[in-house]
Amino acid sequence: MTESTPSANRLASLSISDTSVRNALLHVVMYGAAFLFVLPYLWMISTSLMTREDAIASGMNWIPNPVSVGSYMQLFTGSLILEWTINTILIASVTTLLVLLCDSMIAFALTRLDWPGQRYVLGLIIASFMVPGFVNIIPLYSLISELGLINNYLAVILPFVAGPLGVFLLVQFFRDIPYELQEAAQLDGFSTVRIYTHVILPLSKSILSALGLFIFVWSWNQFLWPLIVLQNEAAYTLPIGIVVLRDTFTYQPSLTMASAILASGPLFVVFLLLQEQLIAAVEMQGVT
Amino acid sequence: MSVTERVDAIRRLVSSENRSRKELIEGVLFSLPYLAIFVVFLLYPLVMGGYMSLFDWNAITPAESTFIGLENYTTMFADPAFWNALGNTLYFVAITVPGIVVVALGLALGVNRDIKGKGILRTVFFSPYILTVSVASIVWIDLYSTQYGVINHYLGMVMSNPPQWLQSRLFAMPALAIMTMWWLAGFSFVILLSARQSVPEYLYEAARLDGAGSWRMFRDVTLPQIRHAIFFVIIINLVWGFQVFGQPYIMTGGGPGKTTETLVMYLYQAAFNQRSFGYAAAVGYVLTGILVVVSIANYYFLGGSND
Repeated sequence: MTESTPSANRLASLSISDTSVRNALLHVVMYGAAFLFVLPYLWMISTSLMTREDAIASGMNWIPNPVSVGSYMQLFTGSLILEWTINTILIASVTTLLVLLCDSMIAFALTRLDWPGQRYVLGLIIASFMVPGFVNIIPLYSLISELGLINNYLAVILPFVAGPLGVFLLVQFFRDIPYELQEAAQLDGFSTVRIYTHVILPLSKSILSALGLFIFVWSWNQFLWPLIVLQNEAAYTLPIGIVVLRDTFTYQPSLTMASAILASGPLFVVFLLLQEQLIAAVEMQGVT
Repeated sequence: MSVTERVDAIRRLVSSENRSRKELIEGVLFSLPYLAIFVVFLLYPLVMGGYMSLFDWNAITPAESTFIGLENYTTMFADPAFWNALGNTLYFVAITVPGIVVVALGLALGVNRDIKGKGILRTVFFSPYILTVSVASIVWIDLYSTQYGVINHYLGMVMSNPPQWLQSRLFAMPALAIMTMWWLAGFSFVILLSARQSVPEYLYEAARLDGAGSWRMFRDVTLPQIRHAIFFVIIINLVWGFQVFGQPYIMTGGGPGKTTETLVMYLYQAAFNQRSFGYAAAVGYVLTGILVVVSIANYYFLGGSND
């Protein structure tokens, strides 16, 4: 600006300091909120490392003194937490693989192949988004028990695989893959199966890993449905197991917090390593 | 591949009758694994639930169930416990949905600003969402504890009589709502942040040239541009809110005095404590009806009807 006057300068410097005050305030508010969000984690970790007596003592100690891993030892030796962890990993992994396989296959058929009726199939799957999970709980339970699948992990896995979310996201993605690629592959004599495995799937790695991670986390975290169909304590998943544990060991916050950390720790590590994929899966749900 | 082979391949592709039959078979084969599971474990139970809701269902020998027409529904509407559970669920939704949307929007707009450590803040605000409901619940039971909880330890320093939280008729539901906001706001936050980041910057520059202040830019640029994301976030939180189960089941058991018993808990108890499967199926259908109405109403009042 060529014709700046002293008063305009003063105004400019005033507004600079004004924005820096605002900026400082923004940092205070945002980091204050972040601190509140983190507080429960700090409490979990610190309580889990206390002795039983320290954890229920009145007054607030944030630093465990002495640091004790007794609660963790007690969980490993005196509970089924290892079995529950294995069950949970197994269920979440098989669910994820099945979802990725079945959903990508039908999404491929719906977008890359041309057959009558595919619009109705897609419409039906999309419409099932409107069905809230709990409406099916009772008839599903009846079906599962008639099939003799109570306490069987398939009872947890299969209803989850039936969900429409993955099909929906993959259809959106597959649609945008250029058809020229597919035609070129057909001219080179690729079979349909090979186009699926060697053209479409490799091009969709990013969305498949995002969806896979999202499904893994959701399936790891399921509560109500496994609670209903897994009735034998050794067959429990972590989310159910730790609630039962808490009812058994009342007034032992150090033990409860240690169990909470063991139940969420593995997932948390995965999250910290792969959070971009997980966040991408969430963002896609907002966009589509 | 030689030229003649190529020509043959093209000819095979073009012979359309062969092709359409082939694609029909392939289409069906590729769809089959998912469709089989979808039909058996989603569509069939959906229809079956409606059928069961018309019976006094015999859980042990379904063949001996008695047809009772709409009696399950009339019993439900005459049961004060049903209305109590519906009222509690509405109350929970009325606190959490606006709470989550406002908190998530505030955090998203804050992180979008010129702030240090955006990545860390995003991780922190999103992270509770990856916890299972039982971890979040048992941690917050202890945070709310009146004997050794953090919350009342610090509240006790500024007020003489901090709330009894989960034991209090007045505060139990708000306590569940606060915990739920912490647990689930991250999902909405990520969606709103991504929507805000995709608003083109030139819109703000144009508004700035017109002399718009930050409030006007928020009202006239940001809000209309991220309207769809806000709509989505409201709907999904409504759907989750109406299905709330884990938090009250684990943290309060529906108490004190049924003040936190929600609709899904009511359904769960009808089915697995009283073994009234037909009745519980009817409750499921009514809940679904409520959700469909809520979603449609939202669509008309808030959503995409005006594009």
